[in-house]
Amino acid sequence: MDILKIEATKHTPEICFDPEKNIHTFQGQSYPENTAEIYNPVFSWLKEYFAQLGNQEVIFNIEIIYFNSSSSKVLMDFFDMLEEESVKGKNIIVNWIYDEENESALEYGEEFQEDLESLKFNLIEKESD
Amino acid sequence: MRKDLHEMKEDFNNQGIFFSFSGPISQELTVEIGEILKKKMSLIETGSSTILKVFSVVVEQAQNIIHYSDEKIPLEEMNSESDELRFGIILVGFKNDHYFVECGNEIENHKIENLQKKLMNLQNMNKDELKKHYKEQRRKDPDEGSKGAGLGFIEMARKSSEPFEFGFKKISEDVSFFSLKIVI
Repeated sequence: MDILKIEATKHTPEICFDPEKNIHTFQGQSYPENTAEIYNPVFSWLKEYFAQLGNQEVIFNIEIIYFNSSSSKVLMDFFDMLEEESVKGKNIIVNWIYDEENESALEYGEEFQEDLESLKFNLIEKESD
Repeated sequence: MRKDLHEMKEDFNNQGIFFSFSGPISQELTVEIGEILKKKMSLIETGSSTILKVFSVVVEQAQNIIHYSDEKIPLEEMNSESDELRFGIILVGFKNDHYFVECGNEIENHKIENLQKKLMNLQNMNKDELKKHYKEQRRKDPDEGSKGAGLGFIEMARKSSEPFEFGFKKISEDVSFFSLKIVI
């Protein structure tokens, strides 16, 4: 499988999913007007990825400073997908990385964490520069 | 030339309004408006969490106009981004130690009842109820006719420090003007 690499724009995050290392990053802001356009290819990639994945450890490092309400729904769908794969036996870890000065980012992370049962979902504070 | 433009500006100043926009709005414009507002707010030592709240409300309001305003012109060149130009108005101000964001756009009269019900329901919710409602909606399929996740108004209600105000003013048999004010 090929790496999925999407460059950041002012309103969409940088996405780099690496099927060799099984370390995936999702970083930046997300407030596109049309979420399907950017995220549909991401979901298609993930579907294919999980279909061929064994039980090795997979890490998702997510660092999003801001997302709009429609991206919030996309993220929930994304975590629900990861949770479903965890239930099926995949070894998935999500690291929700937030800046200590950005209270909202921590709250957003907590609200996802509260809604997920089986998925390993860590909240990790980043050192301020 | 308009003689009263200065008067309009004075009126904005008196109400604390430091940003105003009226016209067709796009996603690109939303991004730039957001950037310039962040810059402006950081100049007067606003906390980063407040800046993010104001920014977030402006984005939700602008994207509501882009998706739902019924004052629109179809574009001949169709593309996937948007097939229409939609018009609205956005004001941002600071008064009594709080930022506020007001927006308005035309709405077809037959859509008012539904929207009014939805907004009144949100007005009566406290923070915990809003959080619960937000989470429930986030896991549901959006309502028919919704172009986002159907979470925008709940998101704004959660960012506001007091219940939001809204109103509808009838323009014609077909449309009214919808206004919404969020105090952060």
